[in-house]
Amino acid sequence: MEEIVNNSEVLCEFLKKMIIDTLKLEDITVEEIESRTPLFRKGLGLDSIDALELVVAIEKIFDVIIEDEEVGKRAFASIKALAKFIRKKYKQRK
Amino acid sequence: MEWIEKEEVVRINEVDEWGMAWYGHYMAWFEAGRISLLRRFDLLPRQMVDLGYIAPVINLKCDFKHPAVCGDWIIIRTTLIKPEIAALTFKFEILLKENRALLARGETTQVLLTTSRKMIYRLSGELEKRISNLVNYCAQK
Repeated sequence: MEEIVNNSEVLCEFLKKMIIDTLKLEDITVEEIESRTPLFRKGLGLDSIDALELVVAIEKIFDVIIEDEEVGKRAFASIKALAKFIRKKYKQRK
Repeated sequence: MEWIEKEEVVRINEVDEWGMAWYGHYMAWFEAGRISLLRRFDLLPRQMVDLGYIAPVINLKCDFKHPAVCGDWIIIRTTLIKPEIAALTFKFEILLKENRALLARGETTQVLLTTSRKMIYRLSGELEKRISNLVNYCAQK
């Protein structure tokens, strides 16, 4: 996991796949998701329940916790923002 | 799965012009069932507010199987599905008391927000303790 987290590009691709798999998105592929696209509303169109599911997946996979909407707003701003957030928190884990 | 049951009678103001329980009223019965379950675990809406949370319903499903009519005694059955995410999904069944025939089956999902309208992604503290007691009760075999 450390290798994935340490490589920004690899992590972004990993996260795109994680989102598709976790939310069972059938009409979108990894290639179609841009790293700068917002995840919610006008971007990928995810909603608050999707956020709850992603939070659980991220905790399971990376052992990184997103407590609430306030933190989530920053973390889920885009794939790139999420990758940056996870990398930072992953390194801060005890 | 453990369900709690509550009895109600179908009143005249709850039926439509064909004498059948009005479809929208089933939501009120679901609410009555949910309240009687939540009461046991100190999770009534005002108790949630005291803890600093609200829990708005974001999803509602209902399948109507058979109509109840005015004067029928019904049983409202309620349970909670073990949550995978920080949301509460309740399941409901409305039965006819005399033969336990299924009249309707439904489901609601609520998310958890702080009273300042900030959605929470993880449960913690006293809220987690009370919800966990509720989850364990409903998960009993």
